[in-house]
Amino acid sequence: MLSTASTLLLCVGGFFYLAGTVGLLRFPDVYCRLHALAKADNLGLGCILLALALQAPNLEAALKLLLIWPLVLAASAGVSYAIARRADVLGVKPWRGGKP
Amino acid sequence: MSATLAFDLLLSTALVWSAWRTITANRLDQAVVMFIVFGLLMTLAWCRLRAPDIALAEAAIGAGLTGALLLDALGALRKGKTARRRQ
Amino acid sequence: MTGFEMPLAFFLLGNLVVALVAAARGPTAADRMLIALLFGSTGVGIIVLLAYAEGARELVDVALVLALLAAITGIAFVRRSWRR
Repeated sequence: MLSTASTLLLCVGGFFYLAGTVGLLRFPDVYCRLHALAKADNLGLGCILLALALQAPNLEAALKLLLIWPLVLAASAGVSYAIARRADVLGVKPWRGGKP
Repeated sequence: MSATLAFDLLLSTALVWSAWRTITANRLDQAVVMFIVFGLLMTLAWCRLRAPDIALAEAAIGAGLTGALLLDALGALRKGKTARRRQ
Repeated sequence: MTGFEMPLAFFLLGNLVVALVAAARGPTAADRMLIALLFGSTGVGIIVLLAYAEGARELVDVALVLALLAAITGIAFVRRSWRR
């Protein structure tokens, strides 16, 4: 039962990572790429960490795995905000439709 | 081909590619970014070799500290260049 | 250990390499710095999967350190190096 749930969550995580990579390759400007990377990839990481926490031998190891997720979320939110704000200050124009 | 072997082959190819790009990049900022990428891939390689202590050192020193210092030096170089142009 | 970790780690590494090649030749400097974000999420995922695929639990510490230092590199780029 736990093993099935773990495999299922791993598959979902892989799908979200794929979605993030496709977004990075296909989106037209920096802000859209940030949006794809920061959200899809972190959701995929959350699914994978949850799947591995289901396999963990004891509670301590599971909690340590789940502790990584808030840390990565906070770090990636901070870095994304800093990159987007700096791009805006330096005058990188957001995409408004049409050819990028 | 097992997934482990495929993983190792892809990782070593990516390592050699990033190292080649680091020494042949014709712009300094590209070289610095590729150096950081090389350090992070090297961390993955040490993890694969089951050497977590060296992986910790590589992540902290190779990618984090040296990368941040090189980026800072790059910014200082550019600042000096624009200041000289204004004089 | 479901036997599914190593294929998924390979799949994530493939994603990472494709995104690296795309980001390394991106048009602006910001595209190149998306690499820091990329390693913060995909790299951590790969290391955690490696830790559980082979039962080497101490690699989870490496994942924590990598998550922190990817953030430091990103902030150093934004605050120090990205000028016109």
